[in-house]
Amino acid sequence: MPTRDYRLRRHALPVIIAVTLVAAAAAQSVDPALLLKPPVDSWLTYHGDYTGQRHSKLSAITPENVHQLTLAWAFQTGQNQSLKMSPVLANGVIYLTTPDNVWAIDARTARQLWRYTHPQNDAFHIGQRGVAVYKDMVYFTTPDAHLVGLDARDGKVRHDIVIADAKRGFWSTNAPLVIRNHMIVGVAGDFDNLPGILKSYDPDTGKLQWTFYSTPPPGTPGSISGGATGGQMWMTGTYDPELNLLYVGTGNPTPVLNGEARPGDNPWTCSIVAINPDTGKLAWGFQASPHDTHDWDAAEVPVLVDGDFNGTPRKMLLQASRNGYYFVLDRTNGKALVTKPFAAVNWAKEIDKDGRPIPNPDKEPKRDGRLVAPNEAGATNYRSPGFDPATGLLVVSAVDAWGIYFFKKEHGAYGWAGANSSVYSRAALRAIDYKTGEIKWSHDIGEGAGAAGVLTTATGLTFSGDNNNNALALRTSDGTTLWHSTIGRVGNGPITYELDGRQYVLFGGGSTLYAFALPEKR
Amino acid sequence: MTSRKKWVWGIFPMRAGRIVPTPVLVSAAAIAFICALASAVAQGQGRGAASPASKPPPATLTPQSYPPEQIQAGQARFGSECGFCHGRDAGGGESGPDLIRSALVAQDVRGDKIAPVIRQGRPDKGMPGSNLSDSDIAAIVAFIHDAKTKAESEGGGRRTVDVADLQTGNAEAGKAYFNGAGGCAKCHSLTSGDFAKIGARYEGLALLHRLLYPGSGGRGSGPAPARPTATVTTRDGQVVTGKLVQLDEFTILLTDANGWSRSWPVKQVRISVDNPLQAHVDQLAKYTDKDMHDVFAYLQTLR
Repeated sequence: MPTRDYRLRRHALPVIIAVTLVAAAAAQSVDPALLLKPPVDSWLTYHGDYTGQRHSKLSAITPENVHQLTLAWAFQTGQNQSLKMSPVLANGVIYLTTPDNVWAIDARTARQLWRYTHPQNDAFHIGQRGVAVYKDMVYFTTPDAHLVGLDARDGKVRHDIVIADAKRGFWSTNAPLVIRNHMIVGVAGDFDNLPGILKSYDPDTGKLQWTFYSTPPPGTPGSISGGATGGQMWMTGTYDPELNLLYVGTGNPTPVLNGEARPGDNPWTCSIVAINPDTGKLAWGFQASPHDTHDWDAAEVPVLVDGDFNGTPRKMLLQASRNGYYFVLDRTNGKALVTKPFAAVNWAKEIDKDGRPIPNPDKEPKRDGRLVAPNEAGATNYRSPGFDPATGLLVVSAVDAWGIYFFKKEHGAYGWAGANSSVYSRAALRAIDYKTGEIKWSHDIGEGAGAAGVLTTATGLTFSGDNNNNALALRTSDGTTLWHSTIGRVGNGPITYELDGRQYVLFGGGSTLYAFALPEKR
Repeated sequence: MTSRKKWVWGIFPMRAGRIVPTPVLVSAAAIAFICALASAVAQGQGRGAASPASKPPPATLTPQSYPPEQIQAGQARFGSECGFCHGRDAGGGESGPDLIRSALVAQDVRGDKIAPVIRQGRPDKGMPGSNLSDSDIAAIVAFIHDAKTKAESEGGGRRTVDVADLQTGNAEAGKAYFNGAGGCAKCHSLTSGDFAKIGARYEGLALLHRLLYPGSGGRGSGPAPARPTATVTTRDGQVVTGKLVQLDEFTILLTDANGWSRSWPVKQVRISVDNPLQAHVDQLAKYTDKDMHDVFAYLQTLR
């Protein structure tokens, strides 16, 4: 018997080693199919999953124990820029970014594994939203509108792709979205009259698969944009695998404040567009702001929710848009189910039969100035909302804001083409009942606009931040504060995950990434 | 009329299903801005300033010239590091002021004033500091001076709002609104203080910002006239009154009558805040554009 045992072990050992090696190699690679069902020990994409709900089913941290949250670790980037990204966690490695920079840090030790710095460039360094992971690669975009694919082992460049020409005024802050073998990425560029571009690349080869134009290059025959350029897709979209549709919010038209130069609704600017990710073809579009003249893009997160709507199960898309209106769309066809303001607005004369707010011409920028709510920064912005399925609340970083808008012929028809200035703004975290658009609660976070995104969890917690450098945990049902920590200006996209049986919550505070957890059991 | 005085215990009140203005506070940034302006006033730059965009830019005091290649390099660095806020042509952008019209730029000689601002930033106003190299900063300085020279020769920036643009209101109607529906006369008197000459002190966009929300509109639009007064009552009965610096749901910070900065946890004290600007905030949702232009026309007559 002992002999037999020994023999078995002798044969088994190499097999075990081989299996372990294969498993280890596989474990370091992120299969895009994982994104359909992300494991709890990860945060695999900008939104955490394809729905954009920024909601976690993790339940260790509860309203009862959240006051015990304590610092697990902090990672300092040493940069001047605040963190505006959402961290991504895959295989025990956290990726964080600032413009031109990616850090890979070990999630257990918070030690830097590698750092990549993109060559110095002269494009806009306004922000960076985060990486996309694909197999053994880490993709991110740069201020000079490159899509860079790094080897996840050591941060060495494997692909360096020019998405658009930075010299023409394009830049990119976008966290790419992986759908199967598509790496989908957008650019930005508001100061020049540039067509709105979304592209899909093969992440294995770096080869271009398709280009979608929200506004066509000037001179394109049969264009419906009314002469508008712009409509940049600078935020990460969401995806419905059953319908095989990618949903992306598009930016404002250019020239920005001069609407006379581009008559009509200017599709598909300030819109939510549904695109087939295999072909780049438009399935439908919905304009949140037809003929925008206030810089209110509809780039905000299109949150996908399956649930009841007036007694009927529906596939819905929710967006709290920069123009101050909350929309519910049927995401199979783009028809509006709800259109309702969630913050101070005074610019629409009516809601049309298609659920679109129609601009009041008197509130368009004029020579003598018009007092408009919201202001140019909008009633919300790129800051991620969080959706809590249990309460049906969409928690949004909202702002009641007023600004003055000017346009005269002398301002021209290129780029900004107008003048505007902010008068007053005050921010709140606001919980919207998804079926009705009613505000269930509003939690003041101070003067100015917020910077923090929102995360909700299954235990009824909402994590976010205020305008006075506090990270916050609120009770989702009523907005009551349960915990706070003064960590610096809280950035976008708190995330949560469970590692080795412990739940962590990550916040950007200033230029440092903070991990909080319950005290370790001894 | 909303009471401008509010008592709060502990955290701010929240009412389900309603968007309610919460007790008023002033951000640290706004206060720091006021302090910056106070020093500008002390140097004789603050009073009588019109909107930056309503007047010709201040002339460069010490004319300077730079090599074209340095200007070109500076243009690229400026576009990358500064352009999003200050505009790619330095003429002002979404959140940063027009540098062509900046008094600091007008006084700068080869970066002696600009370079420290680039390095240290103005964190209180949202401008980060920078660790750019000396040569990058020198190039940016060269570009800003060159952009200013060009803008001066072209007779102003393209984003200007001129005083003449704002003359669509009716002063009589504005006076009626001021004394009637607008409720302005409840706080503002023409017989005391210097309000009676507001039209001589500000003009154009600066006056419009003054009207809507004093302290908004950037440096040229003048300081906020008054900070909220806060009174803190501690549990042992001590009462401290001062100028509110910061208040959030956790902490209050004020400057007391003797000039000391003092801070308490909100839940341990009773707080009363009297914010004279609350009426301006409340009015923003009530103005029509005609009201705004009429009151503007009326204020212009107060000289």
